[in-house]
Amino acid sequence: MRTALIVFAAALAVVGPLHAPAVAKDKIRVVTTIPDLKALTDEVGGDLVDVESLARGTQNAHELEIRPSLMLKLRRADLLIENGLELDSWAEVAVQGANNPKIIRGAPGRIDASRGIQVLDVPAARVDRSMGDVHPLGNPHYSLDPGQAPIITQNIVDGLARLAPDERAAFEKNRQAFLARLNEAMARWAQTLEPVKGAKVVVYHPQWIYVLNRFGLVQAATLEDRPGIPASPAHLTRIIRQMKEERIKVLIVEPWNDVKLATRVADEAGAKAVVLASMVGGVKGTDSYIAALDHNVNALAQALR
Amino acid sequence: MRALTLVLILSLVALSPVAAAAQAPTADDAAALRREIEQLQKQLESVTDRLKRLEAQPPAPSPGAPPPTAQQPAPQPGISPLDIARPRQPFGLYQQRGAGQLLFDIGIAGDFVGNLTGRNIEKAGGGSFPGQENRFFPREIELSLFGQIDPYASAVVRIEAGEEQRASDVTVKLAEAYLTLLTLPFGTQLRMGQMRNRFGWSNEVHEHDLPWVDRPNVMRNFLGDEGLQEKGFEATFVPDLPFYVEALGGVFNGDNDTAFGRSSLENPLFTGRVRTFLELGTDHALQLGMSVASGQTSEDRPSTILGWEGRYKYRPDGWLHPLVTVTGEALYSIRQFNVGADTNGDGVLDTFERRNKNRWGWYLGGEIQPWRLVAGGVRYDWSQYPQNPGMEWAVEPYISFWPSEFLRFRLAYKHTERTTQTREAFNLNGGSARTVDELLFQASFILGAHPAHPF
Repeated sequence: MRTALIVFAAALAVVGPLHAPAVAKDKIRVVTTIPDLKALTDEVGGDLVDVESLARGTQNAHELEIRPSLMLKLRRADLLIENGLELDSWAEVAVQGANNPKIIRGAPGRIDASRGIQVLDVPAARVDRSMGDVHPLGNPHYSLDPGQAPIITQNIVDGLARLAPDERAAFEKNRQAFLARLNEAMARWAQTLEPVKGAKVVVYHPQWIYVLNRFGLVQAATLEDRPGIPASPAHLTRIIRQMKEERIKVLIVEPWNDVKLATRVADEAGAKAVVLASMVGGVKGTDSYIAALDHNVNALAQALR
Repeated sequence: MRALTLVLILSLVALSPVAAAAQAPTADDAAALRREIEQLQKQLESVTDRLKRLEAQPPAPSPGAPPPTAQQPAPQPGISPLDIARPRQPFGLYQQRGAGQLLFDIGIAGDFVGNLTGRNIEKAGGGSFPGQENRFFPREIELSLFGQIDPYASAVVRIEAGEEQRASDVTVKLAEAYLTLLTLPFGTQLRMGQMRNRFGWSNEVHEHDLPWVDRPNVMRNFLGDEGLQEKGFEATFVPDLPFYVEALGGVFNGDNDTAFGRSSLENPLFTGRVRTFLELGTDHALQLGMSVASGQTSEDRPSTILGWEGRYKYRPDGWLHPLVTVTGEALYSIRQFNVGADTNGDGVLDTFERRNKNRWGWYLGGEIQPWRLVAGGVRYDWSQYPQNPGMEWAVEPYISFWPSEFLRFRLAYKHTERTTQTREAFNLNGGSARTVDELLFQASFILGAHPAHPF
């Protein structure tokens, strides 16, 4: 018994230093569930915050594996910013394992970024799992819609200012500067997509509706039979037929989804499968909020021409 | 009443000339009304034009008005022990939610298992589900209720129904019911109630969530068919270190009669666990842990079980599921027994000797999931018996199929071999039940909410 304990303690001592991250002590330690919120918090918080994201851009934010390393990030957090609308409800399990009262539900260190968002696709009738993995509170993929950024960043400023009231002006100044840059980029994106306005696209997973609406594009169908349910051969055949009939040129696919299947369907329909960054960092060169949107807008415009 | 009627009549008389004057329109009034309508029409056209213009171009983001802040929780001062002790009104929370919304989540998990094996195995009760050989039955239908009690605590209640004996009525029982205090100081949490103990990796996993059809032999031999489920208190401590360590300590009744059975807080069962986690890049992850459970048996003799666990996963970046999972646990039992002897040959045990029996066992399982819907794996079990002499080993290849996230089917073949010195029942019929071949199958589903699975 004693030998076993010594071996275990020795293993911990060896392994510990391998993990040690550099954390500045005077900064607000913020953890976000998804990288889009990290990117926006970085913009708003500037040098006053140290931000980490639980999910990576290449992952599926619906179902993250709850690793103890997530609990470690949360153990040290002053603030947890979650997407809400049941996209990242897995975070609750990690929070419970982190033993950090600052970020439990209802605590001042917990922010739901969806507060104030005008949610789309809210089911108007009773929903159940026969409809697939539906979100009863509405479509939760609002974070990469630039039109929602003012609301999300306002929520972030409010949350940060609760922990550091003296810095509210600094956070607000950062926010205004970021929104000014976003405004400029928005004009550029609107101009880029102007020639293809009204074009129909097929999406793999129904997570693009906010962005498509923003730029006047139309979601004609989803490759998933129902949300989260893999497509049946009959459904794929229907989609291919629809794409041919309606001359749909683009099938949008998320980096974490089955890109090969999307490519096969698009090829069959004479269209193009376009991998867009479903979150910041989802594809190479999309490490900031504006960079991710730049990539998505340019890729869409190019494929739709 | 009469006075009231008089006042009413007088009021009507006084007001009637005013009303009559108002009802008599003049030419000036009509012209003014027309002008007002024309003005309103112009305003409406202007708003319609503006709306059309706005709809015609994507709205640029602007700082805009801040979203409503009424629902944002107000800054709270630090939570003191006094706050935790203060009585609160949990049901008052209902007022803040809309009608028809529950304050907690509800989920149902159904787990049906079946097995096919030889008649001799059925007679001896020597299968993986003793007494249920050659049957298909509901092993566990679980109703889970979980959520926050108030800002300081959460609770979980699980009620289980299942067929425990051959062709019997389904038994309903309380599987778990505990509350967790979430806001204790120094990174601690306290769980109290009836719970599956966090002893090793697989013990706290419910039947329908296990990666195999049955629990590993060593876990069943050392902790009983249902594992270690106790009533008591369990505290966890996650220190603020640069690497993840969770330390756990618990005090329980010791009701598990396979390993303990003293069932009293006077001589309680103490449990402990330490686990850590290593992330080797983004794709590889390893969890290691060590557990201890120490109590007394129903014979007032000490019993201690030590456990070691390891779980490795390889999940290529962006994959929705792990490609490779390896899980292993080892248990070592240190237990004292009263062994009686009939020294004078009168058929009555008249001397008792304390004897120590140290036994151990382990399992190792590997699983490969190349596609989201299909996984296949194999588990090897090796275990001594904590009380009886002898040992058994088993190998169990299996394949799992998920039509969706909420539905799973599993098929397994299990081959078990036991040594001659084991339970008498296995030696019946010329020892034919010492070698067991079984075909196991399982159907599991989830209805409603189900918390995410930990690593």
